[in-house]
Amino acid sequence: MTPRAARIGRNLLLLAASLLFLGYVLAPVAWLVSSSFQSESEITSKPPHWIPHQPTLKNFEAIFGAGERDVTYETRRKADPSSGGFIPSTAKNLLPAMWNSFIVAISVVVLNLLVSVPAAYAMAKIRFIGRQTSIYAMLVTRVIPDIALVVPFFLFIRKLGLLDHVGSLIITYLAITIPFSVFILVGYFESLPDELDKAARVDGCSRLQALLRVFLPLALPSLVAMILFAFLTSWNEFLLALMFTQTPASQTMPIVVASFTSDFTISFSFINAAGVLAVVPPVILAIVFERYIVSGLTAGAVKG
Amino acid sequence: MLFLAPMLVVLSVVAVFPVVYSFWISLFDLRLTRPRSVPFVWFDNYAQVFADPLFWTSVARTATFTVMAVAAIMVIATLMALLLNEEFRGRRILSAVLLVPWAIPYVADGLMWKWIYDSGYGALNGLLYQLDFIDKYMVWLGDTRKTLALIANAFVWKEVPLATILLLVTMKSIPADLYGAAKVDGANVWQRFVHVTLPALRPGFMLVMIYETMMAVRHFDLFFILTEGGPANASHVLAWDVYVETFRKLSFGTGAALAYLIALITFLLAFSIIRTMGKKL
Repeated sequence: MTPRAARIGRNLLLLAASLLFLGYVLAPVAWLVSSSFQSESEITSKPPHWIPHQPTLKNFEAIFGAGERDVTYETRRKADPSSGGFIPSTAKNLLPAMWNSFIVAISVVVLNLLVSVPAAYAMAKIRFIGRQTSIYAMLVTRVIPDIALVVPFFLFIRKLGLLDHVGSLIITYLAITIPFSVFILVGYFESLPDELDKAARVDGCSRLQALLRVFLPLALPSLVAMILFAFLTSWNEFLLALMFTQTPASQTMPIVVASFTSDFTISFSFINAAGVLAVVPPVILAIVFERYIVSGLTAGAVKG
Repeated sequence: MLFLAPMLVVLSVVAVFPVVYSFWISLFDLRLTRPRSVPFVWFDNYAQVFADPLFWTSVARTATFTVMAVAAIMVIATLMALLLNEEFRGRRILSAVLLVPWAIPYVADGLMWKWIYDSGYGALNGLLYQLDFIDKYMVWLGDTRKTLALIANAFVWKEVPLATILLLVTMKSIPADLYGAAKVDGANVWQRFVHVTLPALRPGFMLVMIYETMMAVRHFDLFFILTEGGPANASHVLAWDVYVETFRKLSFGTGAALAYLIALITFLLAFSIIRTMGKKL
């Protein structure tokens, strides 16, 4: 085989593999997006229209305009089912739920920063007895499945009077995010030279000043990764939210979307529109901050 | 020490306390339907769990689900990592796209596959029909023989990216000299893969196996969204059992006992994987 032929062969192989790769990863999402722009009558065609013949924004309008319309059993009955009139009365809950998700995620991120940054600095730069053990002990808390935490959390949250309140989620999400946050930051802080710490202290910085003025600016990549992980974990979390929230006052996006999927009368085109709204924020974050996410994920792996 | 204080307080309240408290609860016959009388029953809840035939079938189903899912994740992630390990134009696009399944919520993953599997108008039926693999639309999730495998597929699709990234780092750490030396010894591509890449990937495989096994054994979200444990209990796995005991039967005592057993199973599995794979290192 000539080198030229070998190169062409390699390129063809890579192209085929890349197409398979893209198909596997993106085709399901593409179909979700495509069907969210179809009407009820189009979505029920056999075989399916892979690309909408008459794209419609109706499903998205139903979500964004849901607050103004009064959907009752009667108005729903009157709507023409074949044109996609099956908009659930709970459609108006989706935007407030996304807002709840956002509040929870931002609070979790802020609390994570306040708690994890000093802890990670201490673990990485201050010598104390049990330092190594404390890192492992912290990781072990993540081996416990969330489902095992549900019962004690429930009784605990009920005692605090936080059932059906976003506060319950903020508190419990700290348990599932902090260990990983500290882990990422410790790894990064350890990679920064100890001399920096000493130099800052000689120049008269307190520990806190050394942390804020010297280490934080340098640790920016790991901070970005940490913030993204805490945000995405909170935005996506389902099990605990399902247990602790009961009304739209505190329900988060995943709970409201899940409630659509379990209602057989709701058109899948509408459900898919809700699904698209649910995936847009995390997908944008993931693509924009790809580099930080990958380095954050692998930092753990290389050390572990 | 002051720096550690916030974390220690938070973690002891939200992580250590629940674990201890959970064990304590599992020793009581606590039912929300009967809040006034909460007798201490020693290990009765555990005995009840073991006596329930549904527990044993859900252990078997969880095992089936886990084996299918982890095996598929390992194979697909290895192939994807091999592709991303090559240098070619467009590689960056692939690695950015790879994060999409990882980033989206399980709820969205679940509804997406539920719609694809839909027996009336789903894409799976549509595709197979257009390609002439089937001559009429079939029932997918509703078929008890297919349910677990289909849920596993939705799980695999979302877990593959992380596994790929972890394997890719391990691959990148393999020294190029090893391949050079193998080439000199006359090893072809396949031999180099089997004798150089695979052994060097062992730490990565171990990490992925432990992590994904832990995730699969405890997985709940997709079982809730796709099938709610059905049809006819075909997807009634351990995590779903905890949910039913606790929040449908409101029997917190047995729920906590079950949850404790899952935690124990996870620990033992992780431990045995480390033992068996560690020995071969």
